Amino acid sequence: MSIVSTLRIPATTIKGISLALGLNLTLLLHGCPMPYEWRHEGQWNSQDQIWLSEQSQVKLRAAQSRVFDTTDRRRTLEGIVATLQDLGFIIEVVDEDLGLISGKKFVPLEGRNFGTDHSYHLYNDQRLLIFTKAYRSWGPFLHRSDLVRLTVSVRQRNETQLVVRASAQFYLRAIEDPVPYQQFFRALEQALFLEAQRVP
Amino acid sequence: MTDPRRWGVVVIAGVLALHGCTTPQPKPDLLAPTEAQMKIRSMQTREFDVKDRSEAMRAVIAALQDLGFIIERANEPLGLVTAERFAEPNYFDVLGITVTVRQETPDRMMIRANAIYNNLPIEDPKVYQNFFATLQRSLFITKE
Repeated sequence: MSIVSTLRIPATTIKGISLALGLNLTLLLHGCPMPYEWRHEGQWNSQDQIWLSEQSQVKLRAAQSRVFDTTDRRRTLEGIVATLQDLGFIIEVVDEDLGLISGKKFVPLEGRNFGTDHSYHLYNDQRLLIFTKAYRSWGPFLHRSDLVRLTVSVRQRNETQLVVRASAQFYLRAIEDPVPYQQFFRALEQALFLEAQRVP
Repeated sequence: MTDPRRWGVVVIAGVLALHGCTTPQPKPDLLAPTEAQMKIRSMQTREFDVKDRSEAMRAVIAALQDLGFIIERANEPLGLVTAERFAEPNYFDVLGITVTVRQETPDRMMIRANAIYNNLPIEDPKVYQNFFATLQRSLFITKE
């Protein structure tokens, strides 16, 4: 006589438990914490971003910066705007005096495969609140991680050279891999018809 | 397996398992221009016989206003205009546009427009053709 029959557990309960166990096992084998929050480190303010950095700051800065043999700041900024447009970025901030250009690009990473997502339609990453007729809620945080952000700054290095530095964010983290930056500067070189050099 | 409730559980488990949950990593070509982007670029760009840059900027702003856009940014020295509007027919979709004006030669302006619909780029050439047709008209009226 088996334990089940001695304990008199109903067969449906056992089936339910085994199903739940099976489901957990599937998730475990998949190697993934499920909810959205689990995939992100808690970032309560911008200081947390700094601590997330894994690479040496010097190395990262070298990967993000290039020197151009020009002093034409206006032309360089125009070239950066054109490159960002080529890459499909939406330009958000342009400051000629500071030599600063920022843009964002939407790369759908978070699945929204459960019907209509109202928060998606009025998504604005600058806002904390969303207002739609159909749906009232706190901010559309879910899609914040779908944005690739890029900030490019231009500053004078010496009498004849400018330094261009680009920093990008992907999935709410700074990109530390040098390859995307190399690609970006290659595109910028083509837009400016100038050759970029690494910062010595 | 005839109980519909059990099928429901199986479907939910399947959806959860397929949802994917590892942190996505940036692809190496994230900041590299793709073939498709280069193709859109040609239909987003048009040249106009205008000498004065601020005249071209004013025409761009007027054209966007004609199309019902709300101008968000206009930067004269860099020749950049961004605008947004809610899109027909239900007005909860958002249509955004970025226009740049560049002096190509002393008497020609190169105007480039990037349009996005709910964060995704518009790749339909007709949309850009419409915009440039409105801009052409606007330039003509501004000249008068």
